[in-house]
Amino acid sequence: MNKILYFLFFIAFIGGVTAQTKMSTQEAAVLKSKVKARADKTQFISSDFTQYKHLDFLSNDIESTGKLSFKAPNTVKWEYVKPFVYSVLFKGETLYINNEGDKSNVDMGSNKLFKELNTLVTSSIRGDMFKEEHFSITYFKKAKNSEVHFAPKDANLAEFIKTFQITFNSVGDVMEVKMIEPSNDYTQIVFSKRKVNKAIPDAVFAQ
Amino acid sequence: MRYLLSSICFLFLISCASYSKKNALVKEQINTVQVYNPYFSNEAKDYVYKADLQFYKRKFSGIIIIKKIAEKEHRLVFATEMGNKIFDFSFHQNEFKVNYVLGDMDKKIILNILQRDFTTLLKEYNTSTRTFSRESLNVKEAEVGNKRHFYFYENVGLTKIVRERKGKEKVVYHFLEIKDNIAQRILIEHKNIQLKIKLKGI
Repeated sequence: MNKILYFLFFIAFIGGVTAQTKMSTQEAAVLKSKVKARADKTQFISSDFTQYKHLDFLSNDIESTGKLSFKAPNTVKWEYVKPFVYSVLFKGETLYINNEGDKSNVDMGSNKLFKELNTLVTSSIRGDMFKEEHFSITYFKKAKNSEVHFAPKDANLAEFIKTFQITFNSVGDVMEVKMIEPSNDYTQIVFSKRKVNKAIPDAVFAQ
Repeated sequence: MRYLLSSICFLFLISCASYSKKNALVKEQINTVQVYNPYFSNEAKDYVYKADLQFYKRKFSGIIIIKKIAEKEHRLVFATEMGNKIFDFSFHQNEFKVNYVLGDMDKKIILNILQRDFTTLLKEYNTSTRTFSRESLNVKEAEVGNKRHFYFYENVGLTKIVRERKGKEKVVYHFLEIKDNIAQRILIEHKNIQLKIKLKGI
């Protein structure tokens, strides 16, 4: 009896693991071109998001919510509304911060790390991160969705992030981004009410 | 001339007077008493604060997360609002361990200040051999990391900790909006360097 239980448990476990299967090279190529074509046609994205900060030692993830606005080619605003009011705007060479009304900015031109961060943020929102020279990339199927893992090759970046995991829906939109740290703690951002190419007024991107 | 000399002597005496005397605190005649800081004492709770640090003209903001892991053990993480970790420390009895620190902050002088400030903030139990009082205020003197500290208790509970040296305040910890053993706002203010750490419970 015990053996049967063990066997069933084993099957269930395998089933759980195989719910996410690796893509063939061909399937990966299809996904890449789908996402790329979608990203090229994307002028605006607006979306709500929920961010979960997971630290292994905590009882609960820290949850925050906000709005994301994107304008091609690389203007991005992350606006947290709960449980604190805080926004960061990546625009041109400058990162504008509004911390509960206290405004400041960082010149990204002089800061390589911030520049890299902006590139990453922009490309992860659009999903267009398929650069083999910068990442070791693995493709998975997950029911109707796809999940792609990007492990940075750059040592500086690898010090912060072990892998980026992006989940795409069937049309190639980003549903979720998960950034896993070398310690396995992670930040997960889940998008909702995502609107593509609905014009966003310039005022949203004003400092 | 004699008058001048005696005024100088008087000024000297005043400036050398102890912290307790300067603040008109009256010494109480009792032996060892317990000093208790309840604000990070609940193992079941994740303490999450929006944090604003100001060091001279530089400002940093983010989230400070504190968790009591076990008896006499705390973990403290500072991360940006977007989730990137800036530092991650463990405090166990008198041991301090850096689990992670971002390159820019990895300087001994910075780590020493943070270690000292957070050791005092997180220390739950201590013992005092001298206590003072002034009206409803009760003050207990205790050592943290060989430095003299004064713990101020009012009706609402622990409202202030002062690190003192030669009669002067060096660092003041203010605990505000206290309810059910939680300080909703905490301010750590350095008097000899321009460093302020503001915490707001979220």
